[in-house]
Amino acid sequence: MPRLKIAIASVAACAIALAVGAFLFAWSGLYSVAASRGHWAVLEVILEFGMRSSVRTHAIGIDVPELDDPALVERGAGHFQGGCAPCHGAPGRSSSPIVHAMLPEPPDLAASAPSWQSEELFWIVKHGLKYTGMPAWASQERDDEVWAVVAFLRRLPQMDAAQYWTLASLDPREQDIPIRSLAQGGPVGTGLAACSRCHGLDGAGRASGAFPRLDIQTADYLFAQLQAYAAGARQSGIMQPVAAELEVAEMRRLAEYYAAQRPAPAQIPAESEDRLLAIGQTLTTAGLPNQGIPSCNSCHAQDPALHNPLYPSLAGQYAAYTAQQLALFKSGGRRDTPAAEIMSVIAERLTAEQIDAVSLYLARLRPGAVERATP
Amino acid sequence: MEAHQAVLSPGGSDAETIATLGWVMFAGGSAIFLGVIGLAVYAHLGGETLRRRLASRRLVFVGGVLFPAVTLTALLTYGLILTGARLAAPEADALRIEVTGEQWWWRVRYPATGDAPEIVTANEIRIPIGRQVEIRLASVDVIHSFWVPSLAGKVDMIPGTVNRIRLHATRTGTYRGQCAEYCGAAHALMAFYVVALEPAQFEDWLAGQRQPAAGPLTALQKQGEGLFLSTGCNGCHAIRGTPAAGTIGPDLTHVGGRLSIAAATLPNAAASFARWIRDNQHIKPNNRMPAFRILPDDQLAALAAYLESLK
Repeated sequence: MPRLKIAIASVAACAIALAVGAFLFAWSGLYSVAASRGHWAVLEVILEFGMRSSVRTHAIGIDVPELDDPALVERGAGHFQGGCAPCHGAPGRSSSPIVHAMLPEPPDLAASAPSWQSEELFWIVKHGLKYTGMPAWASQERDDEVWAVVAFLRRLPQMDAAQYWTLASLDPREQDIPIRSLAQGGPVGTGLAACSRCHGLDGAGRASGAFPRLDIQTADYLFAQLQAYAAGARQSGIMQPVAAELEVAEMRRLAEYYAAQRPAPAQIPAESEDRLLAIGQTLTTAGLPNQGIPSCNSCHAQDPALHNPLYPSLAGQYAAYTAQQLALFKSGGRRDTPAAEIMSVIAERLTAEQIDAVSLYLARLRPGAVERATP
Repeated sequence: MEAHQAVLSPGGSDAETIATLGWVMFAGGSAIFLGVIGLAVYAHLGGETLRRRLASRRLVFVGGVLFPAVTLTALLTYGLILTGARLAAPEADALRIEVTGEQWWWRVRYPATGDAPEIVTANEIRIPIGRQVEIRLASVDVIHSFWVPSLAGKVDMIPGTVNRIRLHATRTGTYRGQCAEYCGAAHALMAFYVVALEPAQFEDWLAGQRQPAAGPLTALQKQGEGLFLSTGCNGCHAIRGTPAAGTIGPDLTHVGGRLSIAAATLPNAAASFARWIRDNQHIKPNNRMPAFRILPDDQLAALAAYLESLK
């Protein structure tokens, strides 16, 4: 018995001595937190091991969706150029020497992404990494956006600089821009809030529907969206950081600029199934009262005389974008703005097929004109 | 506004029958109860001999088997005779109305007769006194129950079938009805009014209801009408006389002339319309209408003024 007591007392004394020693060491300031010196090699190995294990374990149970959709890759690329490339670099452009001096140094993802599974990349992009400077996704409700980045990262290792730029930006390469602009604002498209990188200078976005058309909207509507994004009321890890960079006056000017663009004609989606178009036409013009679904036209009137600037125009909007937003309304990913409170109630009543049908039908309508498309 | 909602304050012949039956049962039940208590006291105070006599087989048989059988049979016969009239064919001149229960309001139709077109209204039924009214009851979603305690008994509204109830108002007045079958979150806020009128007044009202909505008079009302058509109200609501022809929610052609809005939830006033349009999900949670917090105050006021003007 006395032996056991002595053993316990010895262990307790050691623990207390260790704690006191650790405290004294931290208090003395002898440990250097300098990023300039790097970690000890042993600590580096342990930290790397711990991080990899943590990501692997936490990514268990994440289902990877289809990542081959070109629109998904383009959306991911557009955000990557503004949100990720400044630290991680991009094909044809390495990151700033300032970033190289971070500890740990943000990795070149073209080289390191292949060492991760897609679900692990998803987990890292969504949640970030403690103690590394890697931030979490600004909007935790938008898994679809995180997957867009993952879809892009899967493609990144095979990309050369030209391919990358085509995917990431609608803006010209820097050798094509006037030297005055280069001298004044730096390389084009590098700013986080460069609208034209994804939406184009004409606001027409991309044919894949990766980004919505802005040229068909009113200034009031675009301004309200920028404000909602900036305040986080409309959730998006892609648009919120962009909108939050803007002053209110800048938002107003940008909204007016894009609203003033002459709308390009609707792009007819290639696959136009007659059956779907008929469903879409019914939903757009008459709704399905017995399912509690009013017609799209009752709020999103095509007749310019009846068009309400509180609501977006849908005629000519890319089908992929409309369908994606309806799915978000339905799933609760977009319901905190006053307008979304209205739309989410209706979207909840739509089936997946009805969403596809109505998006396809609306995409074929000519923007800003009353038109009955013949299916 | 005084509205009756009490079984013991009947305003129609069916309710009078039910009240009479109720009183007879109450009186009979009281008499039997007092008799039993009296016997118990008597047995307690009386001597051993009395108690033995009360415990005789014959008395137990008469009091425990024969008396209940005879009493209950008599009551059943009386009840069947009293309420049997309800099974007869409807009278030839009966007024026919269709009421459909929907979460959480009442769609009311007066079918077309001769040249007169159908009238669709909501949450309020007007009937003439002294004339039989046959109401066909249906439901589009879950089971509701139609109950106007001061006018008649309650009848369930069951999806996929049509039930009938007859009202025969004898006194003019306003009677409150209530959904009497739990039908979801806002069940308690699914009420309505039945207004019993003199026959001439009723015909006037009916003629008024057949008219399309009166056009807006003031500039504010005019703005409200425009907003009604451009904000999406028309997607679900109809106002006859305008392009609004939605059928998902209540017909609002003469909504300003009704006693209440939102199924007897709010009094009919411009302020109520404004509150409902903006805050309906707080007033009646989970109801099918989205909340239009998107409307600025001035637009809300214009819409409310327009709706209130639809007498």
